[in-house]
Amino acid sequence: MGYVAAKGGFDAIQAAETLVRRRRIEGRSSWLELDQIVDRLRYSVDRVMGEGGLWDEQLSARAFRQAEGDVIEAAHLIRAHRSTLPRFGYARVVDADEIDVLRRIVPAFREPPGPQLLGRTLDYTGRLLDQTPEDEGRRQAAEAAANRRERVVSTQVSADEPTVDQRVPGRLIDVLRNLDALVDRRRDDDPEPVDISRVAARPGAPRSARLSTMARAETGALVQLWYRNILGPDRNLHEVTLGEVRHGRLPIEVQNPLTGETVPIGSVRVTEVEAIEDLDGVEEDRTRFDVGYGICLGHNERKAIAMANLDVAVDRAAGDGPLEQSVLMTTDGLDASGFLEHLKLPHYVTFRSMMERKTAMREAAGTKRQERLAQGRSDCEVTDVSGDAGAPVEREDVLR
Amino acid sequence: MTEIPRATSDASFRASMLAQADAASLAVVADECLAAAPTPRVHFGPDVGTIMLTMREPVEATRFHLGEVLVTRCQVQHRETVAWAMRMGDDRASTLAAAVCDAEVAAAGPAAASVERLVAETRRHLDAERAEEWRELEPTIVAFEEMD
Repeated sequence: MGYVAAKGGFDAIQAAETLVRRRRIEGRSSWLELDQIVDRLRYSVDRVMGEGGLWDEQLSARAFRQAEGDVIEAAHLIRAHRSTLPRFGYARVVDADEIDVLRRIVPAFREPPGPQLLGRTLDYTGRLLDQTPEDEGRRQAAEAAANRRERVVSTQVSADEPTVDQRVPGRLIDVLRNLDALVDRRRDDDPEPVDISRVAARPGAPRSARLSTMARAETGALVQLWYRNILGPDRNLHEVTLGEVRHGRLPIEVQNPLTGETVPIGSVRVTEVEAIEDLDGVEEDRTRFDVGYGICLGHNERKAIAMANLDVAVDRAAGDGPLEQSVLMTTDGLDASGFLEHLKLPHYVTFRSMMERKTAMREAAGTKRQERLAQGRSDCEVTDVSGDAGAPVEREDVLR
Repeated sequence: MTEIPRATSDASFRASMLAQADAASLAVVADECLAAAPTPRVHFGPDVGTIMLTMREPVEATRFHLGEVLVTRCQVQHRETVAWAMRMGDDRASTLAAAVCDAEVAAAGPAAASVERLVAETRRHLDAERAEEWRELEPTIVAFEEMD
């Protein structure tokens, strides 16, 4: 198996690329509009934004359509696109307390400050496939959209205005702090946050790097890592209760360079979770709780819950064991998928090299066997250096 | 990175509403602004880029970067007045229109009243959207009953 340099496949690759592009455009149905994707497939759009690390619903929908519904591929497109864009600067630092809630539940406490607001959630919908006939579905959608437009036009703003407590409710952790039931980890210093799009986060990184990494991590990876730590062999989590689960809007405010004043230009939706951990370690304050924090762009409660749990688990592990490394280095969807998918590329030389090693080991084993036979010793004394004791040496010529 | 102070003024309110105004309405009013004025000079943009969204989280009260936001910005000189605009998303035409409208009001141009009407209508629409949103959300507040 000598090495022969070869090239080729360019025409086939181009044809494959053309096939993808053509079939994406052709389809058998009408063109899929970006507004439809944003409006009807919001969880996917939100995941693409969260894992892509860039908020823009239309851009996310465009990537999702191009990726033909593959969320990780779409997030890859978003990150690649983002890398071509200039960063104009920073929005005003937003406090988590500014979230204007669309949904807010506190599983740990029945009467927190502010409401238990279920909002738009799948939590209480039956897992029954909706088999409404298509024509009826279209009719209902058109009617509902018209009704909503009419309601917005005719809404009297003052009639149903919520109180500040209802839309920006207080936090359970503040209640726990007032009860002195929480380890107080608030810091007086204000360390500069790590920008993981410029500096790779590695174990020992500041917490800001960990939060940023998990905020754009792949949802399934975080959920899997959480589950492994709850029920699997790692066991870094045990008795977690959720404090806050919120879906809401964070304001985006930028500085007008001419006046120096702040200008609110809109908002982004986020999902935020606080996970209360029961401290029980020998060196921990067992009279108090600790809290982990999770937040991500868009509506993605599974991800934020896993993130909050893992945040506090990493803190508790304090560098012991592989958890921090797992969080920082194995939860990025692009990293993991990119590494996995590269296996599909030609590995002819790599594999040929492996084959040659196997052959060489077989030959070495065969020579040794001949020598031992010549010395009158039996086969059973031959040391198997190939690591493949069942494979007959006589078949080595097949590999040539 | 320094924290930007929060401020409110008529100018920042106007810029905020123009940043969130309906694109089609903005284009109509901007055309009115440009109708009897010399061609505006574009200082920069409209160009598309990102801004970093940084948060202060509640556990340690420290900052971290949540992610970036796609925006379009531009700065123009219209009627001898320099104005700047930024809108979320990739929308060069609307951002240019917003900057022109802002300059029209600052320069007290003839279409200033139309811009002010657009600003007021945008405020009303945003308030109405928010009120309608709450009308849908409010029934989902859980009312607990104490069991004897």
